[in-house]
Amino acid sequence: MSYTISLTVNGDRRDVTFEDARVTLLDLLRERLALPGTKKGCDRGQCGACTVLVDGRRINSCLTLAVTLDGADVTTIEGLARGDVLHPVQASFVEHDGFQCGYCTPGQIMSAVGLIAEGDVGTDPERIREGMSGNLCRCAAYHGITEAVLDAARRMTDDKTRKSA
Amino acid sequence: MSDILALAPRFGSNSGQSLTRRDGVAKVTGTATFAADNHPDGLLYAVYVPATIARGTVTHLDVAAAKAHPGVVEVITPENRPPLAGDPDSKPFMFAFRFEALQNNTVRYANQPIALVLAETFEAATEGARLLNPLYDAQQPRMGLDGDAPFTPESGGLGLPGTTVHGDIDAGHAASAQDIDVTYETPEQYHNAMETHAVVAQWNGDHVTLDIPSQAIVMQRGAFGYYFGIPPENVTIRSPYLGGGFGSKAIINGPQILAILAARMTGRPVKLMLSRDQMFGPSGHRGATRQRLRIGIDTDHRMTVLDHNSLATTSTFDTFVESAANASQGLYAAGALRSAHQGVRIDAGTPGPVRAPGEAPGSAALECAMDEMAYKAGIDPLEFRLKNYAETEPGTGKPYSSKALRDCYAQGAARFGWAGRPLAPRQMTDENGMLVGWGMGTALFAAPMFAAQARAVLRPDGTGLVETAASDMGQGAWTALAQIAADSLGLPMDRIEFRSGTSDLPDAGIAGGSAHTATAGGALHAAGTDAIRRLAELATGDPDSPLYGAGNAGVIARDGRLHARDDDTRSESFADIITRAGGAEVEGKGSASRTAEASAAHAMYSHGAVFAEVKVDPDLFQIRVTRLVGAFAAGRIINPKLTESQLMGGMIWGISFALHEEARFDQRTGRIMNADLAGYHIPVNADVSGLEVITVHEDDPHVNPLGIKGVGEIGITGTVGAIGNAIWHATGTRVRHFPIRIPDLLTGA
Amino acid sequence: MSYLTPTTLDAALGALSGRDTEAPVSVIAGGTDWFPAQGERAYNGTLLDVTRVEGMRGVSAVGTGWRIGGATTWSDILHADLPPAFDGLKLAAREVGSVQIQNAGTVAGNICNASPAADGVPPLLSLDAEVELTSTRGVRRLVLAEFITGVRKTARAADEIVTALYIPALSAGARGGFTKIGGRKYLVISVAMVGAVLTLSGGRIATARITVGSASPVALRMGDLENALVGADLAEALERVTPERLAALSPISDIRGSAEFRGEAVVEAIRRTLTQIMKGQAHG
Repeated sequence: MSYTISLTVNGDRRDVTFEDARVTLLDLLRERLALPGTKKGCDRGQCGACTVLVDGRRINSCLTLAVTLDGADVTTIEGLARGDVLHPVQASFVEHDGFQCGYCTPGQIMSAVGLIAEGDVGTDPERIREGMSGNLCRCAAYHGITEAVLDAARRMTDDKTRKSA
Repeated sequence: MSDILALAPRFGSNSGQSLTRRDGVAKVTGTATFAADNHPDGLLYAVYVPATIARGTVTHLDVAAAKAHPGVVEVITPENRPPLAGDPDSKPFMFAFRFEALQNNTVRYANQPIALVLAETFEAATEGARLLNPLYDAQQPRMGLDGDAPFTPESGGLGLPGTTVHGDIDAGHAASAQDIDVTYETPEQYHNAMETHAVVAQWNGDHVTLDIPSQAIVMQRGAFGYYFGIPPENVTIRSPYLGGGFGSKAIINGPQILAILAARMTGRPVKLMLSRDQMFGPSGHRGATRQRLRIGIDTDHRMTVLDHNSLATTSTFDTFVESAANASQGLYAAGALRSAHQGVRIDAGTPGPVRAPGEAPGSAALECAMDEMAYKAGIDPLEFRLKNYAETEPGTGKPYSSKALRDCYAQGAARFGWAGRPLAPRQMTDENGMLVGWGMGTALFAAPMFAAQARAVLRPDGTGLVETAASDMGQGAWTALAQIAADSLGLPMDRIEFRSGTSDLPDAGIAGGSAHTATAGGALHAAGTDAIRRLAELATGDPDSPLYGAGNAGVIARDGRLHARDDDTRSESFADIITRAGGAEVEGKGSASRTAEASAAHAMYSHGAVFAEVKVDPDLFQIRVTRLVGAFAAGRIINPKLTESQLMGGMIWGISFALHEEARFDQRTGRIMNADLAGYHIPVNADVSGLEVITVHEDDPHVNPLGIKGVGEIGITGTVGAIGNAIWHATGTRVRHFPIRIPDLLTGA
Repeated sequence: MSYLTPTTLDAALGALSGRDTEAPVSVIAGGTDWFPAQGERAYNGTLLDVTRVEGMRGVSAVGTGWRIGGATTWSDILHADLPPAFDGLKLAAREVGSVQIQNAGTVAGNICNASPAADGVPPLLSLDAEVELTSTRGVRRLVLAEFITGVRKTARAADEIVTALYIPALSAGARGGFTKIGGRKYLVISVAMVGAVLTLSGGRIATARITVGSASPVALRMGDLENALVGADLAEALERVTPERLAALSPISDIRGSAEFRGEAVVEAIRRTLTQIMKGQAHG
């Protein structure tokens, strides 16, 4: 049996056909859509390396079957920057050294983008640490990650304030 | 074959000391290409079937069922596995461990590969692997530190002596006025780099290209060549990025070999990526240890003896005994010093180097034992360490190449606010009624060097090219090494091209032992210096150059120009010198290693002091590390920002060791019960706050020409003990095993 | 494996009807528990995704009580406007894995998985939740305590879908609380947890519903304790939390803690939950 879904990935509408209902969103992105920026760390929803946004919300793409996503809007790490201009969260991760090996980084960044959009934690470091705790980092760059998210959250809030003023 | 690197351009700032990572933009945009991100045409997916017993034989595999599954292309078992040129059970070279590549149907540990399924899709390969439904003849596994009779190994860890004695141990014990005799245990721990082991293998005739994360790129080229019967130059390793290594990616393992073999067998590229649970088996781990420490002191609190014995688990078929007791060499000025190791063979995979091998568990036990001794003697733990401060290396009497440990103690203690700490435990509480404890530990890690080569080229346009096959597994080699190379060429960072991460480049040695920056950096420095020397020869020998007659020693390179050392107005750009000489590139070569004479002349270590505050819930015993201050002296710091990140990462590994990490084996089946990231706990972001790192200034004229030590591993040492000691100080309960968990504190309540 | 994604309840129920003897059909919503449970077994059944079934998602006031649709996620709960009696459920929602899991995982999935350590179960038991099961044969409602029958066992028949949970009417002043104890600060499978709903009158407990999870195969209401707490002020309430009144529990020793510790931890966790609610400090 083959499955065809239509989804938007990083702004591009894609029609995708595959033969196997077991294909996860993670493997769809990495092995079939040539978007390997999203990483596989555990394939069990326990590490967050595969975090992407689906309809604006962060989820573990390893726990999401591709067949369930007909009509969905997916944003991956490849879809954040605008040309050469980094997303504020990306820039902030570089500046604050919010990574070492870089393997969990796409997931961390997508999780941070989701976290800031949720709007629940503001710039409270404790809440940010909790909200980022679904993303493991074995290099343990947590200090830099928290600083980066704080900084990006502040910048994005300032931008919003400026725009609405 | 380095064009892969161009896919992921590396950018970075070129001013100041704390440069951001040159590969930072690639890493935050998802364009950094890790091994499993490669997807050559015609790719087959490989999934290996893990043994679900720890000891016995495989008696049946339902190959027909697996092959019948749509998409499955081949099933490899010992029945049809093509031969290898090199025997997996041989140990032909250093860092060669015996591994399982379907050479027979024996199971030596749980999660060992017992078959490999190849399919057109990952999903079909996974399903095919499940359909094999293995049957076994299982035997009772030998498990744990008491699983078999101990034996005395020839060496502890990688080539270190099994037993080291300095002075008269019996006399040291006899001379003590007070002593302690304590035993600490540490569990099996698994590297668990976020990137699991992965390989994409493509054969072209008798040449193979491997996208594989490697901590020893050129060395592994030769090793893979050995097993496949081809010369090293027929193996191309591309390892531009490693998703963490921590020791595991310096060692070849069975699943990698099987994937490469499968690619040759099928004539198609093959990708294999270990699942997370498969990371608990064939790719090394830290063995469990049981360490007995006996310390004696005289009436003036000076140590008469430090007697450290360690028993560690290893496998039934190879020997790697965690060199935990060696942590007691080189640090405290004890009158007599012994480090002795024993091993016990169990039905687990062979252990191997894990970040701070030996030192991590050894320091944990040593620093806790030091705390116990200080309390018994009635003196402050920091004062006790200062009392036994070694001015020369204990036992050998060698001078240290440099040792700013006293400054580490002083700066760390001041920053933490150590003064005034009550000696007795359970004296402090916070405003919420939490028990508060303070503990400290000394950090120590050797500063070795391996051997490396590098090449530096000055081009007619005035830019530079530098090459060495270094590995960046997150420590920042791409950035720090480029900084060193740029300095050696007198060029700004944006005018050098730094090529690295592939096996067709000069050997940068192993990224391990906290020695990569010193070793590969030393080679780059030498290569750059050589190129500048050749350039200076061109200029100073050319009557048309303003530098004519200045002599080699009379010029310096700065910002793309050679300047006369004694007259800054005499200078000429690299481009002009090269162009006038005919436009040929100027090439320099360099190497770095440590001579036997240098090793004999000085004891070389990085040092540090770690201070921890913990808060313990008096009723629920939940433990939180609320402050952790580490002060480290590690010679010349190339990039303070990346160094701080490395040290913090190490300290968080220390938190993990102290409170979280532990593989739990089912004694009946030999399987690991928590072989995933939900059960095998490492710290999450919320566990980490209040971390501070101080890098203490240290000039080292002896360790190597650049004065560089290492910072990759030392952060764990000292930290584990500091946390254990702080927990005791908070609660009055001395827990003598790691990790320290909530129930451990119940008995002392 | 095949996959079905019906948009109407009738279609979903039709897919399940009469299929129990053929290849298995697994009902999934977020799928967050289904994946990790696959292990080494080959799965060849049919996945029935109910997230697109009309009316399955969301929290709404129904009569005097509340309805939580079968495809309602934990994030939906966190962001729903609910009275203070749901504070315990909201605190639990924050502990159900990571935010990534909360965005996909559902309340109904959590109870169907029936893990002894399921974070949602204690607060739901304290809310007297009822489970609506629908099949082509009809609709039935079970109280949650009867729905979960053992470790990873429920009363759901193979052809039934959990279409909703119902929370009966709550008295106006009811307040909820939740406490979870674990070794790591977050993302931890609990050593013990407590969900409670209290009504207070003049600073004293009028009614108490106390549930303990992770300390027995199935989370349990502590009836003896609930009765004993009636009439108590905070100080008295804390004293009345004694091991004898928690005798229904059978804590086990496992990787996360000894039975002895679990027993003591439960006592303390209940005391904290009572304090949290009675001092109005229901926060994480």
